[in-house]
Amino acid sequence: MKILEREEVELQDEDDAVSLCSMFAGSDSFGIDTGKIREVLGKRELQRVPMAPAYIGGVVPYRGEVLTTVNFRALLGMSEYVESSCVLVLEDDAGGERFGLVVDAVGGVVTVSRKMLEANPCTLEVQGKWLFDGAYKTQTGLLVQLDPQKLRPSRLAETGLFKQRESGHRNGEQL
Amino acid sequence: MDDLTKEFIAESQEGLDRMERCLTELEMRPGDGEQLVGEIFRAVHTIKGTTGFLGFDRLEKLAHTGEHLLGSLRDGKLAVTSELISGLLSLLDRLREILMLIEETGGEGTRIGDEDSELIAVLATLNGGAAPVASPTAVNGPRMMLAEAGASSGSSAASEKTLRIDVEVLNRMMNLVGELVLTRNQMLQSNMDASNFSELARRLDSVTADLRESVMQARMQPVGHLFGKFPRMVRDLARTCGREVRVEFFGQETGLDKSLLEAIKDPLTHAVRNAVDHGIEAPEIRVMAGKPSEGCLRLRAFHQSGSVVIEVADDGAGIAMERVLAKAVERGLVTSEQAAEMTEQEALQLIFLPGFSTAAAVTTVSGRGVGMDVVRANVEKVGGSVELESKVGMGTTLRLRVPLTLAIVPALVVRSGGQSFALPQSALVELVYVPQRDAKTAVERVGTAEVYRLRERLLPIVWLERLLELEKRNTAESHGFYLAVLEAEGCRYGLVVDDLLAPEEIVVKPLSAVLREIGLFSGATVLGNGTLALILDIGATAARAGVKPVEEERDEVEMEEKVAQGAEVSLLVFEDRARERTALPLDVVERIESVPLTQIEYAGGRPLLQYRGELLPLRDEGRVLAELEADQEGGEEVPATVLICRSSNKGVIRRTGMVVRKVLDVSGGMLLDRDDATGEMDLALVKDKLTTIHREFDVKSAPEWKEVA
Repeated sequence: MKILEREEVELQDEDDAVSLCSMFAGSDSFGIDTGKIREVLGKRELQRVPMAPAYIGGVVPYRGEVLTTVNFRALLGMSEYVESSCVLVLEDDAGGERFGLVVDAVGGVVTVSRKMLEANPCTLEVQGKWLFDGAYKTQTGLLVQLDPQKLRPSRLAETGLFKQRESGHRNGEQL
Repeated sequence: MDDLTKEFIAESQEGLDRMERCLTELEMRPGDGEQLVGEIFRAVHTIKGTTGFLGFDRLEKLAHTGEHLLGSLRDGKLAVTSELISGLLSLLDRLREILMLIEETGGEGTRIGDEDSELIAVLATLNGGAAPVASPTAVNGPRMMLAEAGASSGSSAASEKTLRIDVEVLNRMMNLVGELVLTRNQMLQSNMDASNFSELARRLDSVTADLRESVMQARMQPVGHLFGKFPRMVRDLARTCGREVRVEFFGQETGLDKSLLEAIKDPLTHAVRNAVDHGIEAPEIRVMAGKPSEGCLRLRAFHQSGSVVIEVADDGAGIAMERVLAKAVERGLVTSEQAAEMTEQEALQLIFLPGFSTAAAVTTVSGRGVGMDVVRANVEKVGGSVELESKVGMGTTLRLRVPLTLAIVPALVVRSGGQSFALPQSALVELVYVPQRDAKTAVERVGTAEVYRLRERLLPIVWLERLLELEKRNTAESHGFYLAVLEAEGCRYGLVVDDLLAPEEIVVKPLSAVLREIGLFSGATVLGNGTLALILDIGATAARAGVKPVEEERDEVEMEEKVAQGAEVSLLVFEDRARERTALPLDVVERIESVPLTQIEYAGGRPLLQYRGELLPLRDEGRVLAELEADQEGGEEVPATVLICRSSNKGVIRRTGMVVRKVLDVSGGMLLDRDDATGEMDLALVKDKLTTIHREFDVKSAPEWKEVA
């Protein structure tokens, strides 16, 4: 983490450069502002929580607390990842809620120019509109930006957007 | 606000708390008032001295008048009257009010300078002794109540944040932290396979245990702190309601975690209010009922099996079932048909429903419909429970049972569907292992509900993996399953789990809001092996599975009452004397054991059996043992059939064995007359055959046994 921070400081001189931490779910790549990531835990065993909404990946011990994680694949409506997944610790600005994000793998720090950001396409489905915050056009492909604020488990519960998926995903088991 | 003022406020509030206690005590026992008056005087004097220094004129003026009055009292110029006490109490309230104002705003709120002149005048008249004595109470009566309510919330704000700790304890904690650091250093320096690593791990273990204990000790506060405010409250309440009440305390030194103490403060206050307002009758009614006019309210705190019990008992009218039921029907909580079928215990539970109050009229004190449901909810929030016991005409006892501490609870870790779950030990009654070969037959069905026969009682069972929609694991098939018999909120059920892991003391970690909403888990914990386990909320699980509270097991006393009433009872019928059918009430029989004769030993001519670490005296009235011995000499190996009988006499459970020839049947029987010839036998008709029934068998055998011992 220390190395990442140093890089970030250097890049701040350039006005429109943003450093994102890239991560993967399925075949797509996503990015979250490094400033909003508290820690990358790496591969962890998750303790599943029965009866929890499908987008809850489980709980994981983190610095004496029990961290609730959000399963990003479930949010996208993808099937479960076969190998063990990576956990990122995110924290909202006010420091109120700390939670984990479960993705397939974490890449590295990618520096992109703000100019390369383009808003969500208008044809995007409603769940996608909630989750995605535009995409960066990089040489290697599109890097979809995520807003950690909107990934908070309590916000996800409030929106009610991901309820239907849960039942579909869990073979019509009760809510 | 500067530190000096803060310290002054905290100190003064403590002084005032002390003063309040002393004042109520003084009223009760004006005889030995010298020391008490001295204490009160000191409290007021300290406030006066410090306020002058800090420049709070209003406080100083008031404290000065009070000090003057107390001075006269101390010198013996005045006698202790209830008017005087009332005056002093209103002074106390005013002082508290001003302190609160200072805490909130930083100033004492003087504008005109004569806010207190009325009170000062009252105090002055009291000191002079010339003015009509009735006025202060009349003026201050209702006001006092308001001030009391305000004061309690205000002082709690200040006292919740601060805690007084013995310097000794703090030093010990610091020492332990030092040791912890040293051990860590050593561990960092040596590597995993160093020879002393296990020793270091052990030391780390003992240091953490010690540290935990001393932190807990620091958090422990005597319950007396909580009780301290009740004499005053009861006094005021009794006056408002026109009752005569004496308060008694027991076990004030019982320690309880500070956060828990705060949590049960409101429920307890509510319970005491209820007891004075609803429980204890007006003096004239009490006298008519043949009771002393002064009611007695007993507050008791004691430890019981890992939890602290706080008991509020009154000797009042008790709870009239008919009224409870009538009210419940009127409020639409139950239908009249349901009410007619309810047992006493069930009816008592109605009191805990929201929106229930039996007070005939809504008084200022209680009867607003917020009642026992709030008490129960608050106590259950901290993992406790509430029990209610009432006898009409004798009084009501309310028991609040709270865990010693919130942070660390003993739990049993179980596995189900490949996951670990923690069950709090407090809810665990017993564990039953159902081996593979019995698994199919052990679970029986009543309609769609599955039940298990536990000592001839049907226990509803809940499959944890099905309830939580976990995947079924094949491992369960190969080795049977475990049944954890749990009890919470009056529900008793068996929870089926795949495997039992070790009992562990777990540290409870809160869950995030989203997971709390599921409503089945009360928290999570990190187990010794570093994995997480969810803590199952026993009560919520029962509710989710649809387990309803059942009537509590009747004890034997009630059973005997039933016998006396000639009702039909379940009997275990057996043969002991030749061809004579004898029976025992089924509830008394714990087990039927087949024991090899060689295991029966004799002491002083009496047969004894070693049974589960206990020595059981055996009763052999039909001389069955002698008969069997004879058979054995003939070369036959015959086991004796022994009924293990349990009897509880005044709370002491005693077991005895009864040697019988043959167990015949279990069936219901109708009691006939007592057999006068034997005295201790009853006659009954069981399936139209005459049967004698043992009564009071324990009472007779007990003294005999003592002689032997």
